[in-house]
Amino acid sequence: MTIKQQELLSAFVDGELNEQELDELLALMKSDDSAKQDYMRYQFSSDLLHGYVTEHKQIDLTDRIQQALSSDEPGVNVQPTENTQTAKVFALPDWFWKQTAGLAAAASIGALAVVGLMSQPQTVMPTTNMAQSEPMQQQTQVADSNRWTVGESEVEDRLNDYLVDHNEYAGASGLFSYARVVSYGEE
Amino acid sequence: MNVDQELVRRVQAGDKKAFDLLIMKYQQRIIHVITGFVHDPVEAMDVAQEAFIKAYRALPGFRGDSAFYTWLYRIAINTSKNYLTAASRRPPVSDVDAMDATIYYDAPELKEFETPESSLMSDDLQQAIHDAIQELPEDTATAIKLREFEGLSYEEIAQAMDCPIGTVRSRIFRAREAIDKQVKAVMGGEEL
Repeated sequence: MTIKQQELLSAFVDGELNEQELDELLALMKSDDSAKQDYMRYQFSSDLLHGYVTEHKQIDLTDRIQQALSSDEPGVNVQPTENTQTAKVFALPDWFWKQTAGLAAAASIGALAVVGLMSQPQTVMPTTNMAQSEPMQQQTQVADSNRWTVGESEVEDRLNDYLVDHNEYAGASGLFSYARVVSYGEE
Repeated sequence: MNVDQELVRRVQAGDKKAFDLLIMKYQQRIIHVITGFVHDPVEAMDVAQEAFIKAYRALPGFRGDSAFYTWLYRIAINTSKNYLTAASRRPPVSDVDAMDATIYYDAPELKEFETPESSLMSDDLQQAIHDAIQELPEDTATAIKLREFEGLSYEEIAQAMDCPIGTVRSRIFRAREAIDKQVKAVMGGEEL
């Protein structure tokens, strides 16, 4: 390892790399095992300074995570180029489909209710002063957004929160793994 | 360039090594967050592993609306809560109070859990870091302080210290090497 390479590793701790340097860093990590150790030392020093170190020892989860990902089902791996996910179809008994159909219908109704509530027009009642100055005019503000338009940041945030929570809890159960692919937009 | 964003883009394009870098960068922070909920260190590491795996699976849908760490942090919190919820359904297997799950689940703020030994080590490490910075040449000490304590970018530090960015990078690297030596000494020469 040259000093320049070590400086590169230290700069990565601070997120201070350009694209070319990031390429160099990735190549270095792939070709030189000591690069990882050096980087971990610098990151540990920084984490110590920020008080992020809980166990006062260097922890490395990379191997066990990669191992877990490698032994995982192929369908969960990140697709190389496009966001295309292919569902696997398994033969399941009829009672399962009846139950899941019922649950899915209930969940859909719940989701529609949530989206419907979010897109309700918000009426602002005029104050007395406003009524005096404009006696015949009701001031009504209607949200501009369409319920399926996610360009508005507030609606998008709420939808995002809903989907993240849904994915977290439904996906974690192990029963309805299809729920992980719930999304919106044109991804 | 936002390095995290670029790494995410590369993971989405199929580069697993790029995800390794994100793990290495954030694992201590994520474990620190999780330890606020799950205070057994081994369990905290398991939960952290699960959080990273969930993040990896969800990365194709990550559009970069928030910073990567913010997104990862939320996954870690949710994974911790799920873990505590699941743990509360199981009979306690050790000296863990089953009520802990409910208490920590509803805790308004995260809590720190330190044993006397770890607290002592923490004090020693703090002192070692302080000593290491004190012993640095003034320019080097200033550079690392501006970076780590004030959160300035290299460009801002270069402006503040009236020197090239390359010099800032070099000073910060030397400071980290010096801190690492002191930390190693305190930790009994353990290989980091």
